[in-house]
Amino acid sequence: MAKEERAPETEGGANASEQGEVREPRIGVYVCHCGINIAYMVDVRKVAEVAGTFPNVVVARTYPYMCSDPGQSLIRDDIEKSDLTGVVVAACSPRMHEPTFRAAVSDAGVNPYLLDMANIREQCSWIHEEPEAATEKAIDLVRAAVARASHLSPLVEREVPVTPESLVVGGGIAGIQAALDIAEAGYRVHLVEKEPTIGGRMAQLDKTFPTLDCSACILTPRMVDASRHPNIELATYSEVKEVEGYIGNFNATLTRKARYVDLEKCTNCGLCYASCPVRNVPQLREPVGIPRDLSEKDRTRLDAIIADHGIDAELLIQILQDVNIEYNYLPVDALKYVAFRLGVRPATVYHVASFYTAFSLEPRGRKIVKVCTGTACHARGAVRVLEELERRLGIGPGETTEDMAYTLLTVNCLGCCALGPVVVVDNDYHSVVPGDADAMLARYETA
Amino acid sequence: MRHVKDIADLERARREIMKGRDPDARVVAICCGTGCIACGGLTVADAFRSEVDSRALASKVRVLTTGCHGFCERGPLVVVQPAGILYQQVKPDDVAEIVETSVEGDDLVERLLYVDSASGEKIVREEDVPFYKHQTRLILGRNGALDPTSVEDYVAIGGYGSLAKALDAMTPDEIVATVKASGLRGRGGGGFSTGRKWESCLKAPGDVRYLICNADEGDPGAYMDRSILEGNPHSVLEGMVIGAFALGVTDGYIYVREEYPLAVANFTRALDDARAAGLLGVNILGTGFSFDVAVARGGGAFVCGESTALMASIEGLPGEPRPKHIHTVERGLRQRPTVLNNVETWANVPLIVDKGAEWFAAIGTEGSKGTKIFSLVGKVNNTGLVEVPMGITLREIIDDIGGGIRGGHSFKAVQTGGPSGGCISEDLLDLPVDFDRLAEAGSMMGSGGMIVMDDRNCMVDIAKYFVGFLKDESCGKCTPCREGLRQMHAILTDITEGRGEERHLDELEYISWGLEQTALCQLGSTAQNPVLTTLRYFRDEYRAHIEEKRCPAGVCKALVTYSVVADACTGCTVCAKKCPSDAIEGEPKKVHGIVQDKCIKCGICYEVCKFDAIAID
Ligand SMILES: Cc1cc2nc3c(=O)[nH]c(=O)nc-3n(C[C@H](O)[C@H](O)[C@H](O)COP(=O)(O)O)c2cc1C
Ligand code: SF4
Repeated sequence: MAKEERAPETEGGANASEQGEVREPRIGVYVCHCGINIAYMVDVRKVAEVAGTFPNVVVARTYPYMCSDPGQSLIRDDIEKSDLTGVVVAACSPRMHEPTFRAAVSDAGVNPYLLDMANIREQCSWIHEEPEAATEKAIDLVRAAVARASHLSPLVEREVPVTPESLVVGGGIAGIQAALDIAEAGYRVHLVEKEPTIGGRMAQLDKTFPTLDCSACILTPRMVDASRHPNIELATYSEVKEVEGYIGNFNATLTRKARYVDLEKCTNCGLCYASCPVRNVPQLREPVGIPRDLSEKDRTRLDAIIADHGIDAELLIQILQDVNIEYNYLPVDALKYVAFRLGVRPATVYHVASFYTAFSLEPRGRKIVKVCTGTACHARGAVRVLEELERRLGIGPGETTEDMAYTLLTVNCLGCCALGPVVVVDNDYHSVVPGDADAMLARYETA
Repeated sequence: MRHVKDIADLERARREIMKGRDPDARVVAICCGTGCIACGGLTVADAFRSEVDSRALASKVRVLTTGCHGFCERGPLVVVQPAGILYQQVKPDDVAEIVETSVEGDDLVERLLYVDSASGEKIVREEDVPFYKHQTRLILGRNGALDPTSVEDYVAIGGYGSLAKALDAMTPDEIVATVKASGLRGRGGGGFSTGRKWESCLKAPGDVRYLICNADEGDPGAYMDRSILEGNPHSVLEGMVIGAFALGVTDGYIYVREEYPLAVANFTRALDDARAAGLLGVNILGTGFSFDVAVARGGGAFVCGESTALMASIEGLPGEPRPKHIHTVERGLRQRPTVLNNVETWANVPLIVDKGAEWFAAIGTEGSKGTKIFSLVGKVNNTGLVEVPMGITLREIIDDIGGGIRGGHSFKAVQTGGPSGGCISEDLLDLPVDFDRLAEAGSMMGSGGMIVMDDRNCMVDIAKYFVGFLKDESCGKCTPCREGLRQMHAILTDITEGRGEERHLDELEYISWGLEQTALCQLGSTAQNPVLTTLRYFRDEYRAHIEEKRCPAGVCKALVTYSVVADACTGCTVCAKKCPSDAIEGEPKKVHGIVQDKCIKCGICYEVCKFDAIAID
């Protein structure tokens, strides 16, 4: 339900009055002594004095306790007298008194979001020991706040209807507990798990660190609770396909995977499971670390590369270099396997793999065309050569042709600067003048 | 090469090598640096080998594939020794004639000689070619005399003699003192005194120290490190072993760019050969001193040339710099004291040990000693690697060695120091080139890239190029660099696409100030140099883009149009055939015209027209 209807969203910034006419910002700056809390270290008078010279500032004052009633009315009076459009309070942390000052300016008819605070207590006076430097810093903080305040736009508070339900993705111990907490608080929860059962990793563990508690003893009661709770809607063997909307009004689309069992009629007798000859039971998880789909052959290939270098986390980049050459890119499963073998977190391996340009996370074409865009090549027209190749191959830099024949890359200097513009196809270097790139590539196509 | 037992044995081994070689034998040295390979150097070398074989000359003639000679513009280069005859742009078809005339006979193949563009005269000997004549090739000079994959070749010219001298006659402290007294400054960009760096590393607490050779060479437009590693890997290795002895280091690393496969191959080969010869590894030259080097291939990130990022990368981590309130000489690789020096710096060390600090300090200027290799590229006639004493002027480099601007255009600027450097305008051409003078001009020595630009280069475009380069290469760890460069690039893009506004120039200066003051590593804190120097020396060009929406150099696509100059067009149809979007119409032998709606401004017509009949404005 809308609580109040005011000006349309946020138009025009602080300088726009409600009629939409644009005005120069008029800002008041209020520097608080906070008793001695600020004043013992920061020369508050000087701060106010300097702040008075900042652009858009029309008044700048100090007061022993800005948050006190007289302090607040000082601000309110100024707003009326000097027709302020924005207010900067240089005082404590906004966590402390922002609501106080917002209320104060709001009372005087200025949108509460046109207030900005400079924290010169927690982030300045309390943590510094040199008064002069602290004062300088306080001035800088106020300068920044004034600059910000000059750009602020009025915001409007509205109430909108929300659907008080939540979606928890992943039915591991964390997801189960989150779902239970929300459900206990009286809201509906949709708990989505991609495997046929909730429980997750914890169901694979025997004991938990550091107390060596029996993990099943922790997990099973919660699994049962979650499945029985009236507020929890379990969606196992399902995945979230899409989430759209915004806070309070999300729409999520789930894919329920095929299950071949009529859940309405099933009595959970377990006979089908016992007599099934195939045993392709989906909940058998891959052992931690070795990707399920990695073939024996791939493991041998990767093992050979790792053996060449040695099992040492420091050699990660060297190993990935060779994997990248072996596969012409870095397949995800290979990354996971290398992570497992080297005892490095998969996230770290991914960080490295995505940081260095030598590595490709996408399959690349059979021929790799690299256009040097080093300075010397640039000065001699490398951009034109690149454009020619883009037109010819129909792809942009970093892309691969659909038939996987070519990948087009740019490289920052191949160290052949005397011959620029230089194009390298696989390992052949070509000095290519703009206009000749077509002919250069044609030689590879007939070959 | 055989194993060398001790220091005295090295000289014996050298004599043995020399004995097997006839000093008067003809040697055909073919440059097989990457530049010459790109022009077909390897096939020329093969042709020489089979020609020599088929004439049964193998016992009398040595066919030598060497590293880069420097004169890449004219490759493939072939030098016939001992006469020192230089043949340029040699094709496999020329090989038989060269062997017949100059190897078996004593004549010249005139048509392959270098013709001096100024005097029109043919020049026979390599050392008389103006490109080489004005250089002082202490380091590069040896590239042409040896096969980089042969440790014998290096030993034959006295290689590893400095190591023997250091191990035999000098204490570690003396070596450090000599390097310090020589005034050698780091060639990797910063120009920090190498001797002082070594000294502070020695003073740092801890008994395990490391030593690293920085061969990342990410600086676009510079390739001297590549050429040294490819052409004379042992000279760098010798420097590293000497350094290791001086610093008491047993483990060294070389961090090489992954785009340099030949450098990796040649250096790895050098390590294996040196180990087998007793010049590296356990008990070097029988002295009990042990040191070995491992090769780390980089992952293609410019920022990994920065010391702390490089060390993180060797440790197998993403190459993100860390704040340097504690220097890497105290806590570097694996938190241990570490000395990091550039390839060219290491290659200078054996020379200094051999010839002494005074000899080295006599070359160069007050604050910058020795020689520096520049990669002279861009719009000059003779591109290539040039090694000159510090203090030579830009004009000498560009005019005397580089042979001036190509194609009758006029000089506009020279960019030095890579992305952290700046563009220098014509009135500063008489500036002596050394660390300090370049810095005064707002640029940098950097690693020695020297990109010459003519009136057809747009300085706003160049600034945008560098900012774009750094924006892509920023590791993203700190905000000023990550966001500041993005904003600068957006502003420069606006200017080059005709959306420039008056305030943009102030904004560029303001962001530059922020970067300089606050970025975490020098990638960010020097990134403003290309922008600030172009603003300082070429403000008019910015103004033309902003106020008149015009690109004076005709580079910025959005601001130019292509048209046919009716008087000059002969109707040869070449442009119409080459135009990728069929925007050129006209009948053969009649004046053509460009349909502006279809023109994508690719500039191909301009490049292909032989009659200067395409105008850009
Ligand atoms: C972003 C960045 C890139 C760098 N790239 C290189 C490089 O490619 N090669 C190099 O030798 N030094 C490079 N440096 C300089 C090194 O950090 C370091 O100063 C140098 O290797 C030290 O050796 P030197 O004293 O022999 O010059 C780079 C520095 C920065 C900040
Ligand atoms: S300045 Fe740039 S490259 Fe250097 S640490 Fe910051 S973000 Fe990374």
